[in-house]
Amino acid sequence: MMRLYVEGIGLLGPGLDGWSASRDVLAGTTPYVAAPTSLRASDMLPAAERRRAGVPIKLALAVGQEAFLQAGRDTKTTSTVFTSSGGDNDNVHAINGILATAPREVSPTRFHNSVHNAAAGYWCIAAGTHEPSTSLCAYDASFAAGLLESATQVTVDDATVVLIAYDHPYPEPLNAVRPIAAAFGMALILTPRKTEKSLATIEVDIVSGNGQETAMRDAGLEALRSGVPAARGLPLLAALARGEAAQLCIAYLDDNHLDIRIAPC
Amino acid sequence: MAASAQEKELAQLIVTSLNLEMTADEIEPEAPLYGEGLGLDSIDILELSLAISKTYGVQLKSDDADNNKIFSSLRSLNEHIQQHRPK
Repeated sequence: MMRLYVEGIGLLGPGLDGWSASRDVLAGTTPYVAAPTSLRASDMLPAAERRRAGVPIKLALAVGQEAFLQAGRDTKTTSTVFTSSGGDNDNVHAINGILATAPREVSPTRFHNSVHNAAAGYWCIAAGTHEPSTSLCAYDASFAAGLLESATQVTVDDATVVLIAYDHPYPEPLNAVRPIAAAFGMALILTPRKTEKSLATIEVDIVSGNGQETAMRDAGLEALRSGVPAARGLPLLAALARGEAAQLCIAYLDDNHLDIRIAPC
Repeated sequence: MAASAQEKELAQLIVTSLNLEMTADEIEPEAPLYGEGLGLDSIDILELSLAISKTYGVQLKSDDADNNKIFSSLRSLNEHIQQHRPK
């Protein structure tokens, strides 16, 4: 079992415009109303990077920034774990289109944004950090993989880690074969020890066998959770929003799952 | 001297292809494009070269000894394009 502490939270999704603005919705005291994800380029970025930032960069930086503001922590001294099922899916679509059409000259900006750790690169520029950074993908288990990696780093390296999960839809025709319901991102700042800013304790275990995944109580939020790999972490945010102890199951790869226990500090 | 119609067209291509946070009218014809001035960097110059190749049929090579002069301003870039575009 790995035990860590949540110190900051970031959220951006359809009808979820920030953690602070969404707490009551996630706690179930205010109805969820879906609306397009409010994407904006981060003011943390220099102008040249800001104008090259695609949807995933906007998601990742928005949720990261919100989490750090809440925690009051220095971005320069915090390790990062990024996780996303697909990375920049708009960019994949655009490059495929360019490669399918003569003279197949790929835009340097699109090439620059095509690596899976592009969000990590933009974050490191924006945050001015040289701390270790990991970028993962694990299909529908991308959030679970990111949480497992973060928990491992917090435990083994005694490090404070920000976990940033994000996903957004492919344009057609890829959307038909890999539908992702919406643009969604979430961030958690995780520490090895309790601090005066700690919001909750999280205990994480990897367990073999398929568990019964924890669903969202609201049908719209459940559609988001099941429709976006990065949003598989929504039940964790809902438990944090309710401020109650909870036990959750999030599916992991190869018929394993994460058993997660949350308790407010 | 104010921007010519050709320079305005090129300025619009620069703004659109680089997603600049400014309008084409705000690009001074004689102001530096690279570094100080418009603040473009090496990725921007590559991106712009691709856009110019597609729009005007003029190939700009990364090893051209005259690149500093060609990219020194909107005016010099436009002059180069007009001299080298296919008739």
